[in-house]
Amino acid sequence: MKSKIMGLVLATTALTGAAQAAELRMSWWGGDSRHAATQEALKVCGEKHGHTIKPEFTGWSGHYEKLTTQIAGGTEADIMQVNWPWLSIYSSDGSGLADLNELSDIIDLSSWDAAQIEAGSMNGKLNGLPISTTGRLFVFNKTTYAKAGLDIPNTWDELLAAGPVFKEKLGDDYFPFEGAKLDAALLMTIYGTQKTGKALINPDTHKLEWTKEELADAIQFYKTMVDNHVIPAWKDVAAAGNVRLHENPLWADGHIAGTYQWDSTYFKITKPLNDDQEVVYHGLLSQDGQATPGIYRKASMVFSISANSPNKEAAAHIVNCMLNESEGVAAMGTARGVPASTAARDQLLSADAIKQVQIDAQAKVIQAEGPAIHPMMEFPDVRSALQDNLELFAYGEVDAATAADDMIYAIEEALADIAD
Amino acid sequence: MGGDSKYLGLWFVAPYVLGLVLFIAFPFVASFYLSFTDYDLLSSPEWVGTKNYEKLFTRDRTFDKSLSVTLTYVFTTVPLKLVFALFIAVVLNYRLRGINLFRTAYYVPSILGGSIAIAVLWRYIFADTGLMNMFITMLGFEAINWFGEPGNALFTITLLRIWQFGSAMVIFLAALQSVDKSLYEAASIDGAGPWHTFRYITLPLITPVIFFNLIMQTVQAFQEFNGPYIITEGGPLKSTYLLPLYIYEKAFKSFDMGYASAISWVLFFIIMVLTLIAFWSSKKWVYYAGDKRN
Repeated sequence: MKSKIMGLVLATTALTGAAQAAELRMSWWGGDSRHAATQEALKVCGEKHGHTIKPEFTGWSGHYEKLTTQIAGGTEADIMQVNWPWLSIYSSDGSGLADLNELSDIIDLSSWDAAQIEAGSMNGKLNGLPISTTGRLFVFNKTTYAKAGLDIPNTWDELLAAGPVFKEKLGDDYFPFEGAKLDAALLMTIYGTQKTGKALINPDTHKLEWTKEELADAIQFYKTMVDNHVIPAWKDVAAAGNVRLHENPLWADGHIAGTYQWDSTYFKITKPLNDDQEVVYHGLLSQDGQATPGIYRKASMVFSISANSPNKEAAAHIVNCMLNESEGVAAMGTARGVPASTAARDQLLSADAIKQVQIDAQAKVIQAEGPAIHPMMEFPDVRSALQDNLELFAYGEVDAATAADDMIYAIEEALADIAD
Repeated sequence: MGGDSKYLGLWFVAPYVLGLVLFIAFPFVASFYLSFTDYDLLSSPEWVGTKNYEKLFTRDRTFDKSLSVTLTYVFTTVPLKLVFALFIAVVLNYRLRGINLFRTAYYVPSILGGSIAIAVLWRYIFADTGLMNMFITMLGFEAINWFGEPGNALFTITLLRIWQFGSAMVIFLAALQSVDKSLYEAASIDGAGPWHTFRYITLPLITPVIFFNLIMQTVQAFQEFNGPYIITEGGPLKSTYLLPLYIYEKAFKSFDMGYASAISWVLFFIIMVLTLIAFWSSKKWVYYAGDKRN
């Protein structure tokens, strides 16, 4: 009898503990605006549900390394912002992260459609709730284009034609666009995707889709842009110390008048602009006879709960608050782009909390067509294969055909390594 | 009490021994095992035999490039740094007014030099619109593309390393001050000038310290990470992609821990061979007190 009473006491204590205040941790990457919004959301959601949440935030650089090491060591935060392609690394069989389906009595999953739930699922387990959908769009500085007497370009040909005009009317240090490193590789990719109608890596077969000639043609296009004074040469970008766009004074004052960016980076790249500069999210450039607009679209990021968290229910309350409940949604705003959750989106729209430019940009991302993007496009070895060989070409070390050959070799090797 | 005293020393060394075992000895041994495995950190290591080493030596062009850059960097940096440190030490060995202030001032870069903040500062100084180019153009020369040209980029990284000459300099200074003054007096009486005194008295007597600094600086140069990681990100064209960067990226970007361990062991082997060569050659040029050689 005594042991039964003790058991009852222990069980009661445990149940009470589950409902009691928990001490949680949440990790994410981002810029200042996202850090401020998320900390505010954690504060209001924590107060509402009676939990305390310790924030752990960094910039993008190094976050993947940090998070992966934490997960390997079992020391990850209870709630994590996870980049969508990382799901397959952390939880290939669905067991590496908590299954949010099991917490559906706390998280209102009806705010996401079936496709979004599928995007966040691994092996049938819902490992991450999509926060927003994002895509790369062409962004232009309307002020500088007007200064050059030009309209914003709609086609690649118009962009190529803008280069000499910028040089002549505004000077050598004005460029209608920019792109080096990853951005240059992605510009090359969209150009080739539009032309061929194929994704670089096929999501179904996990194989490289482009032929050597198609790849060489896209690589050569990079040089065309440099030769036409459309983008600064790779070595000139390096000379400045590889400064990120939002930290680059040439972007802030309009000397660089175009970029190819995620629509979710609106605050990050518009905040540093000088007051007199106006930018527009213009959609995608097109080319004659293109097979597809070639949008590079993906679930931008997801919120996941650690499989090791002793407070999964408490973490679920906070996740639901940030994504579905009015207090959390209001605090989070659009710091991670236009929300994927319909509850959050409706609330922000009715409160006029989403800027028209963000709504328009999101519509362009959603409406544009393009072959599905393989998550491996975002794996470091694949990105290195693209960037390193394009850099060799940009420096004139190899011709386009050799760069294509080497790129194919390196990508196939990376894909084989990942598949192993 | 006697028993307590007997084990007291062990308690004092215990924290160090524990640290040595946990953070150096265990990873050292574990990395050797891991270099024969395929290990992504998130799942268990899988034995692959010598596959990592085979790939490294037969078809990894990045490794070839990185090794070549690392050797260039080490063989440039170490001699220049030693010569510079010795030169400054000789200057600071003179009895001048306020000499202690100068000694402190010259040592400061060594305290700051390896930090991230200084690496970031270096990036601004050598950027196309940075302080260095402002100075160069002020003198009427053309601005230099420090980070965009492969040769220049490696030079800026090398310069950062040489700038941190303070620790080598302090050791040289101590050695210079320990040289018996009567030898200088005898040389002076025999009519030896400053150069001959330095060449035939100072230099031979401080060779043990030159040897020590050579080994230490070589090992440290092979491990350089912060400079190229922060300033040039290993570029352009991997011209500053030193082996520690490659190890880091393989380990913590690609999460190919087995392969990263294999590169680490190759790096260890290179350092060990060069150290052994230095020890072997030291018999011919390092002189210790009481040495019977002619």
